[in-house]
Amino acid sequence: MSFLKKIEIKSKALLLKEFFYDYFWKKSSLNLGLASLIFSLAIIQFSTPQFYISATLRENKSVGSSSPSLGGGSDNLFSIVSSESNSFGEFRSNIYSYIIAQRMWEKGWATEIYAGGDKSIDVNKIDKPQTLADRLGSLLLGYELYDFYSPHDLQDFISSKVDLQKEIKGTNITVSMLTSDQNFGISFLNELMLTADKYAKEFLILKSQAIIDATYKQLSESRNSAITASLAATINKESLHIATLTNDLPYHIYFIDPPYSSEYPVTPNTLAIFISNFIIFIFLSVMYNFIRNHKEDLW
Amino acid sequence: MVNGYFRYIDYGGSLEYYIFEIANYSFLVLLLCLCYKLRFININSLIVWTGIFFVPLVLNYFIFSPSLFPDQFQYALEVMSLKSKGISIDAIASQNAQFSLNLGYLGSISIPTNPVTFSTTFLGFAPIPNFMTVTSLAFANKFFLFVSFLGLKKFFFKDENILLLFFLIPSLLLYTSLALRETLIIICSVFFLLNMLKNNYIISLIFLLPLFVLKIQMFAFLALYFVGRLVFRANNSLYMLVFFLGFILLASILLQDVILQIINYYRLGFAAENMDLGDGIYGYYAFSLYGEELAESLELTSILEVVFASIAGLPKLLLMPYPNTWSSIFYPIQFFESIFLILLYWSISVRNNLLKNKEFIYLSVILLLSCMLYSLLVFNVGTFVRYRFSLFFPFIIALYYLATLERGNKTKLLK
Repeated sequence: MSFLKKIEIKSKALLLKEFFYDYFWKKSSLNLGLASLIFSLAIIQFSTPQFYISATLRENKSVGSSSPSLGGGSDNLFSIVSSESNSFGEFRSNIYSYIIAQRMWEKGWATEIYAGGDKSIDVNKIDKPQTLADRLGSLLLGYELYDFYSPHDLQDFISSKVDLQKEIKGTNITVSMLTSDQNFGISFLNELMLTADKYAKEFLILKSQAIIDATYKQLSESRNSAITASLAATINKESLHIATLTNDLPYHIYFIDPPYSSEYPVTPNTLAIFISNFIIFIFLSVMYNFIRNHKEDLW
Repeated sequence: MVNGYFRYIDYGGSLEYYIFEIANYSFLVLLLCLCYKLRFININSLIVWTGIFFVPLVLNYFIFSPSLFPDQFQYALEVMSLKSKGISIDAIASQNAQFSLNLGYLGSISIPTNPVTFSTTFLGFAPIPNFMTVTSLAFANKFFLFVSFLGLKKFFFKDENILLLFFLIPSLLLYTSLALRETLIIICSVFFLLNMLKNNYIISLIFLLPLFVLKIQMFAFLALYFVGRLVFRANNSLYMLVFFLGFILLASILLQDVILQIINYYRLGFAAENMDLGDGIYGYYAFSLYGEELAESLELTSILEVVFASIAGLPKLLLMPYPNTWSSIFYPIQFFESIFLILLYWSISVRNNLLKNKEFIYLSVILLLSCMLYSLLVFNVGTFVRYRFSLFFPFIIALYYLATLERGNKTKLLK
């Protein structure tokens, strides 16, 4: 058993015992351990329980464009490439855009978020509390602060609360948010996604309509039969595009799982907070004793 | 062990996030104090590692958003899914990537072949209290880095203080402070090379095999080193080294079609990933729209062209990120660091008279070949600065070990 001799188990066990009694088995550890419980209770008491609201979506692949054939060894690559579309990017940009915040504002969501659902308050006259930093900034730079909430605030709310994640090399998109009110969270997320998707459709309808108008103009001037046929095909294509967009079905995405809430609040995580704070406080006690005992080594 | 305690919630940079991660930090520092008390490390290591363990706390959500390295979320989700439900996340589970070995009466064992599952399974063994946020895996990485430091100190290097300096290289601090698999790649590569230099082939093989899953290209480079040393004995004579290189060239010419197809495939892949046309059109989508001309210009058609292109791309790989591409605080640091590492490599070899040492020559040739292959794929600066570091760092450690061996031999001769 020469390797056991090499490890010097006996002396190491003694050092371990010494470590325990010198740094852990102290009154300060007990005091700080109890303090951690009080600190954890305080954190939990002051935290607002938040529910996890999420929805699982999938990109509508028919929106993606077809890829050109390059031939040769690139075919394999393009089998991957062709499955990628930019729908997620567009959908994400729309969700966080000002125009969507404005539409959500017009639908009255500001009342729900900033006025506690009190519909008697004018949506454009909800008082906005100003932080000290905002006041200081306006004083130093000489600009006026807005007294009322605006769609800009709603846009900030959406950006900070709503999270969009797409699986890497996967197809599913998860849209989620944490909120203290389950019903509000579910309806808000649902409305937000549908509004963003509807806006994308409206933009494309307008684009197709503009193409049709311009093509009709060209068609009236054209005398060449080949060009006329091509222009007519463009009109047909764009008309079909409009027909497919003028319905209530989602465009960029479709729901796999509509917004739903967790059964219980997911945060604060009570057990994890108690355990973590206990470790942190015990660590502080050990470090205090350790630094005190090794002052000379450390400095 | 499946435990519902670990569940992924996006805590952002909230108070809860800091409570969970400071608890992880505290636990690691307690471990450090214990190691000091047991005389595994000296006081300098204790102080420096206390600082190294602190780095993850100041990166994610503090200096930068974790979205800067978005892969981190996949690793975090996977480790929490494995810990809370015992299964992979949907995107990985659907790939069904695992290798099963039937052991007859003993049952069967399954090894995940998805690099994310493989690395998170391993990192999940780190005895830290919380796997709650994206930064938890960074602490798991730090734990394994510290264990590797103890291993290096115990089996390879006597001078603990100098060894400690290698662990203060900025890129090592950065990549081991994120929820990525770079730490495991670096650890496996370092121990593979050091054991090879000690002629421990079996142990080397144990460290080489995980790289097949973790990073296939690193596996290929080191497998080349393994074969050249074990079969051709290219580390013992220059003739054998030339013969080995000739063999590689001949094999490349004979298998030209296959090799070119693989290289072109990866060149296109990396180029497509990095393509940006503006207006939110980027990546594979942009490439599918306008990548035709680029694809033609990137295609390599012969091994000779591969050799020339790789030599031409070498300075870029070694020195990037160039000043004209600096877009974050890390880029200038990494630029000067890359120059420093090249100078360090040169300085260690010159100061220890290694330039004529056959082991050194062989080691450097393999490093050069690996860099040449990487230089063919450099399209995304951020990615390849990371790849370059995880390739270069193990070779520097190996070189330093070689230098200590050389110094030891000289001392013996003088006695």
